Formats: sequence, C-alpha cells, structure tokens
Amino acid sequence: MSDFMLKVRSPLDGIELTYGDVAIREITDRDIVSIAIPLGGTETLSKAVISAYQTELPAVGRCAKSHVDNAHFLGMAPDQYFIVFDRSGSESTDKITSKLGKTGYFTDQSDSWVMMRIGGPKSRTALERICPIDLHPTVFPEESVTRTLMEHLSTIILSEGNDHYLLLSARSSAGSFLQVLQKSVENVL
Amino acid sequence: MIIDHPLLGPRDVSEFVYLGDASLINRPDSQNENAAKHFYEYLYLRENPAGEHRELWYHEHGDRSWLVVTRDTLTHKITRVELARDTALAAGRNK
Repeated sequence: MSDFMLKVRSPLDGIELTYGDVAIREITDRDIVSIAIPLGGTETLSKAVISAYQTELPAVGRCAKSHVDNAHFLGMAPDQYFIVFDRSGSESTDKITSKLGKTGYFTDQSDSWVMMRIGGPKSRTALERICPIDLHPTVFPEESVTRTLMEHLSTIILSEGNDHYLLLSARSSAGSFLQVLQKSVENVL
Repeated sequence: MIIDHPLLGPRDVSEFVYLGDASLINRPDSQNENAAKHFYEYLYLRENPAGEHRELWYHEHGDRSWLVVTRDTLTHKITRVELARDTALAAGRNK
C-alpha cells in the first residue's frame, strides 16, 4: 500500500491573466466526455438526450445547451459529440452513462485538454492573428464550435458570444498554447 | 488554397491531408476470380490527368472527415467538395 497521496492539478494551475480589457482564464471545474454513435444508433441517442437533458443533439459545428449539469453538447464531427458539463464527485463517464444508458460510446476526455476562456473587446482581434477560420459573428455566431489549428496546435473553439470564446487544446502542450495566446493579445493591445 | 467543406464552410488547406485518387474508395472484391488483376489496377494504375481530378482529402485538423474534392490540377480551382461517405453510399456501399 502506497503512502503517496496524489493531488489533482489542472494543466495551468488555474491561471488567470488580464491584459487591458482582455481576460484569459483557465477553466478547471468542467468535465469533458466524447460520444461516438454506434452504427445506426443516431435516433436512439437523440431520444435519450432529449429525455435526459431536454435539448436536441446539435448539428456539426453547433453547440446545444442544457440546464441539466450546465451541459453543453458540441457537434464536433459526423457521429461525434463532446459534452462539457459541471464537474461533480462521480466519474464523468459514469455520470453520462447514468443519464444516457448505453446509447453511445462514452470516453472521458477531461484530463486530455486544457480549457481556457478568452474574453474582452479585443479578444477576437487577438485570435484572428492565430486562427485560420473567420471568427466574425456573421460567419461564426454565438454557439458555433469547430476544431482548427492555432500556431500548429490543434484547438477547439466555441463562440460564447459578446467577444468571449472557449478554447480547448491538448493538455501536453498547454504551456505553449498559453504562450501563443499571451503573445497574440500583447501584440494587439 | 481554400477547401469549402460541405459541413463546416471554407477552411484553409493547412487543416487537410491529401491522400490521392478518389478511386481508392472502390476497393475490389477479394473473392472475385480476377481479384489479383483488380487489386493490381487498384493499387498501381492512376489516370494522372492534366485537368479535372477527383481526389481524397482528410480533414485531420478539423472534423476528421474524408472528402472527395474535384480539383483542376492545372489551376488548383476546386469545383466540387463532397463527403466521401456520401459518395461511397451513392456508389452502393451499404455503410
């Protein structure tokens, strides 16, 4: 029996930075679970989601919100979704299985990603320098989500509206990703 | 070069990986009596046109979908982009 007590740490230790009116903050109280749909099982999963979360599965590139566990369903790809929801005591996949049963293949992704929020009037200007997709609200409106590259780092970006964006990137390169964001914000201030 | 993804809209080519001729979707039946000949043609024989070409691209840094892109090899002009899944289903694949 080991005497070691391991303490969970977030990738960036919950960092919070402010540059003028742009704020960057790591999100540490949310879990991520991916859902893959079994072949031909879209309707079954869709009904389970409506029943348990009172929301419909979003189209690819869109986000659907539920008041249950403050869950956000992200349409990542055909037949694949991410659920981002408030962390509680139980295992993340157990929590989803308790609500959706065996209607999909659920994989815990929480510790694979660093999750950050960037917000403020110049946040879009800063992101435009490192993001190859058009982030203007007429093209990428609130509740749009997609996976893309930022400075060669794979990134999921979700528009939360009002110049606020949620960013997910690989935990293993979280420090580099933060540096990219910091530099870009510094360059536009 | 910009590829107009059918689900996600215009995306930079840096997000994609090129595979090759779209005929790679049509894998021969290994039980066919001429399977060896068909696999030889499938693996090694390509049209290599100077002009319109249908080819497979993978959206690796996006939604991980396979696309069939119709591109002019002389001008790089892209005239059509389809999900490879739809192309395969239309060609008679059952899943």
